[in-house]
Amino acid sequence: MTFARGVGQFYPVESPLHALDPRAKVVATALFVVGLFFVDSAAGFLAAGAVTAALVAASRVPLGAFLGLLRPVLFIVALTFVFQVLFLREGPTLLAWGFIEVHEEGLRLGLVLAARILILVTAAGLLTATTAPVALADGMEDLLSPLKRLRFPAHEVAMMMTIALRFIPTLGEEAEKISRAQAARGADFEGGGLLKRARALVPLLIPLTVGAFRRADELAEAMESRGYRGGVGRVRYRELRFRARDAAALLLTALAVGVAALL
Amino acid sequence: MRIELQGVRHVYAPGTSFAVEALKGVSLSVEPGEVLGVIGGTGSGKSTLVQHLNLLLVPTAGRVLVDGKDALSLDRSELRRRVGLVFQSPEQALFAPTVEEDVAFAPQRLGLGEEEVRERVGETLELLGAGHLAARSPFALSGGEKRRVAIAGVLAMGPEVLVLDEPTAGLDPHARSDLIYLVGRLKASGMTVVFVSHDLDEVAEVADGVCVLEGGEVRSIGHPAEVFYGDPSMAPATVRVAAALGVSRPSLGTPVRYGETLAALRRVLGAAP
Ligand SMILES: Nc1ncnc2c1ncn2[C@@H]1O[C@H](COP(=O)(O)OP(=O)(O)OP(=O)(O)O)[C@@H](O)[C@H]1O
Ligand SMILES: [Mg+2]
Repeated sequence: MTFARGVGQFYPVESPLHALDPRAKVVATALFVVGLFFVDSAAGFLAAGAVTAALVAASRVPLGAFLGLLRPVLFIVALTFVFQVLFLREGPTLLAWGFIEVHEEGLRLGLVLAARILILVTAAGLLTATTAPVALADGMEDLLSPLKRLRFPAHEVAMMMTIALRFIPTLGEEAEKISRAQAARGADFEGGGLLKRARALVPLLIPLTVGAFRRADELAEAMESRGYRGGVGRVRYRELRFRARDAAALLLTALAVGVAALL
Repeated sequence: MRIELQGVRHVYAPGTSFAVEALKGVSLSVEPGEVLGVIGGTGSGKSTLVQHLNLLLVPTAGRVLVDGKDALSLDRSELRRRVGLVFQSPEQALFAPTVEEDVAFAPQRLGLGEEEVRERVGETLELLGAGHLAARSPFALSGGEKRRVAIAGVLAMGPEVLVLDEPTAGLDPHARSDLIYLVGRLKASGMTVVFVSHDLDEVAEVADGVCVLEGGEVRSIGHPAEVFYGDPSMAPATVRVAAALGVSRPSLGTPVRYGETLAALRRVLGAAP
């Protein structure tokens, strides 16, 4: 129950960002992420970073949640930074110490990449933290629906996404419960070499799979018995409504990232 | 073996906004050879409590003592062999292709020889009246059969204490009484049993001691007659009847089990057999 919660997931509080239409947020995030690749000046990153920070503050999601999100990424950021700094040898030399040489271009690119990754992950985190999974799937379905003409199963894909998201914590709980039940029978999931460990997982994975299939069956039956027949002719309980504030948010994002790219 | 819990607290997901204090300082002891019934409503902490008996959960605060020694200092897998825990809905953890192989899992983990494993599996399945299922797939059994196989899977370790977390939930009355009968036989063979249940009547039938949990705390604990007559609202039907009649006829005494209550009523009311 503990490990599937928290970091990188929906954080249910009330904020202006939570209230936005999910479609607006998805498109704005996409715009922002793409725009970020055109930003390459210090001023541009400062601007993009400041906008992101302001949005984090506006989201009312505790800062700790974002720091938690960034922690696993920090390693990648550090690695990227070190590689750029050490191995890109263009421009004037800033520092030379034995075989280590730091060049201006390497340092610049290292900083650019680090800033880009950090802002990118925070922006993606903002989207998932402020948008309920179901709303996110609804938004995706709507955005993908023009593809329905090309027979792309937009509704089915979105429904699958919703169900998958819904069941991640459930499966996590079940895995924990079964592993404890097997531990009570002497199973040991920790010791031993790779092969032994893989074999030790059998008593966990089989019941988990069996349980997942049973659950899928039950869910399918429950959905059908309540009249679910796929996307055709289906109306929504929660209508998505694109309001003025959503348009404004989209416009502001486009503007901000455009300015940052030009700086 | 004697297990003692001293002021055990347990907090799930501590330090997060999802933290739940499931146990708030529980003290009790499981005496050798007794059947301890643990009762309490949904979410009162029963499952959390019993998982401390073999340290599948480690207390956030407080101590678990086994024969007077701190259980944390003991070998964990040895402790789990001596204290066999059958989880709530244990059939979820069945995994092997046949019932026989599934029950053999625990004895094999103990490193017993092939012959001995087979013997134990046979005996245990027989004990649970599931010998005829040995070659079947555990996934193709009925709910009650699965339950018995899962209990066999733990009993095959040869534990000194057997902990059953709601073993009768979802069983028909016949399978229930079979299970109660099994608990009686295990006790007669010298095994200590901890029996978690929602069903007061069934606990009254087998328990030597009763512990009532409420909101993660022990509400009352002791001999079934003391606990049940102390608060007849939380008592089995036998005790509610006897307590109500006993107001005008103190000579009824404090019977708890069905047989005792019937005998006491006959005595007092002077009815024909
Ligand atoms: N893995 C977990 N993570 C977080 N909270 C939990 C977890 N397991 C149980 N809880 C919480 O701890 C409390 C006690 O749960 P527990 O499972 O011990 O109750 P129970 O008495 O066994 O209930 P039931 O009769 O429904 O089985 C409940 O409030 C429950 O929500
Ligand atoms: Mg329980």
